Amino acid sequence: MDGRLTAGTGATAARPNPGGRSLHRFANPGRFLRATGRLMPFLWAAALLVLGAGLVWGLVLSPADWQQGETVRIMYVHVPMAWLAMGGYTGLAALSVMSLVWRHPLADLTARELSPVGAAATALCLATGSLWGKPMWGTWWVWDARLTSVLVLFFLWLGHAALVRAFDDPERGARAGAILALVGIVNVPIVKFSVDWWNTLHQPASVARLDAPGMHVDILYPLLVCAIGFSLLFAAVVLARTRAAVMERRVRALQLARARREEGAPA
Amino acid sequence: MTRKKRRLMVLLLAGLGLGTATALTLTAFQDNLVFFLSPSDVIAQRPPAERAFRLGGLVEAGSVERVTASDGRPSATFRVTDGPNTITVTYTGVLPDLFREGQGVVTLGRLQPDGSFRASEVLARHDETYMPPEVADALRRAGHWNPAQGAAPPAASWNTAPRQPDGRSGG
Amino acid sequence: MTLHWWHIAVSYLLTLVVFGSLAIGAAARHRAAKRLLAQLDPRGERP
Repeated sequence: MDGRLTAGTGATAARPNPGGRSLHRFANPGRFLRATGRLMPFLWAAALLVLGAGLVWGLVLSPADWQQGETVRIMYVHVPMAWLAMGGYTGLAALSVMSLVWRHPLADLTARELSPVGAAATALCLATGSLWGKPMWGTWWVWDARLTSVLVLFFLWLGHAALVRAFDDPERGARAGAILALVGIVNVPIVKFSVDWWNTLHQPASVARLDAPGMHVDILYPLLVCAIGFSLLFAAVVLARTRAAVMERRVRALQLARARREEGAPA
Repeated sequence: MTRKKRRLMVLLLAGLGLGTATALTLTAFQDNLVFFLSPSDVIAQRPPAERAFRLGGLVEAGSVERVTASDGRPSATFRVTDGPNTITVTYTGVLPDLFREGQGVVTLGRLQPDGSFRASEVLARHDETYMPPEVADALRRAGHWNPAQGAAPPAASWNTAPRQPDGRSGG
Repeated sequence: MTLHWWHIAVSYLLTLVVFGSLAIGAAARHRAAKRLLAQLDPRGERP
């Protein structure tokens, strides 16, 4: 699994690696910045292109639903946000395992930059769901198992973002945050299967289910394009924040070294 | 390497414990996690008349009677079914847009002495099918689906059906 | 504009505003860090 991890980014995989087959090859911040720096412009461009196409398709070109009418278009933002909220949280848990088991510093940094973005996606999922629920169900909010478990997911994201920033020692904050993220992962299957396990006002899954999607392709395809677009944008934002955090840490180290030099020089 | 393996094992064990505890808790509180009772649940449990609860199911075909009360407020009587059992519901107020025969509903209210259900709130619960109006019309015309009778036919039979060339139309 | 379209418009605008400001914020933070780093360490690895 160690070698596989870097193969995904392509850029560094081909280069001979004196560091060996270790996760820590990406712990070298210079290498991380070089590898992702080449990727960033393409990631931003792909995100804007795919998302632009998906939103026009969803908002203008796709058909209305036979019973929900035009309101079904809220789905093209609501469902990608829900998938990102859950998928992003699974990513946060994976980073937390890397942090706790392998003490990987980049995993800590990425987790720290990921959780505010995940919280934003979950908040958008809740807000757009509410805006969709009012005209369709007749209510902004109910305390059914699906809605409540997504609200819990939102508080887990917020809790992680606050916890990792609450310690003077960033390493202790990262450790506490990783434990919270891993405890919270039990909520992800509850969110996913709440609509199957209990009676809920929210309908069961249309796309991510074992039989054929309960969605006509003219509605399904724009949804998938929007989901890919939002995922690319999410990844670009998180990666840009992580890169900035790596550089900010280096800036702080350099400033500290300079201050120490200047302190020592006049004597 | 052994320290890393040990940390991984501790995490796995903790995860196993946490998962088991969560599963047990959810099973224990199963009844409280249910948002509504089906007509069969109601007939089995017989909730007392003073207890408000939610009743959910499909609006039975041909059961909806809309009347305007003497004070001018709209009122409706319909039957909610889950297949084996049916309960009559009365409601005064504006029904949601999606309310129709064959649609899912969740109603909040109390059981009456005569066994009917007096609702103070009616929410529509749509199912997980999404289809363009043209495709729904085609299914109805071909006799494959009567929305008043319940759920749409299996998705694989219509989810790639072509839309009419006249394109988009409002719902 | 009907009420339904209002709900759609607010959903899309909300999403675009939140993700737009996240993206702009991340890009601005990235640019600022890069500039500072170039100032402090002109010979260093320039990402």
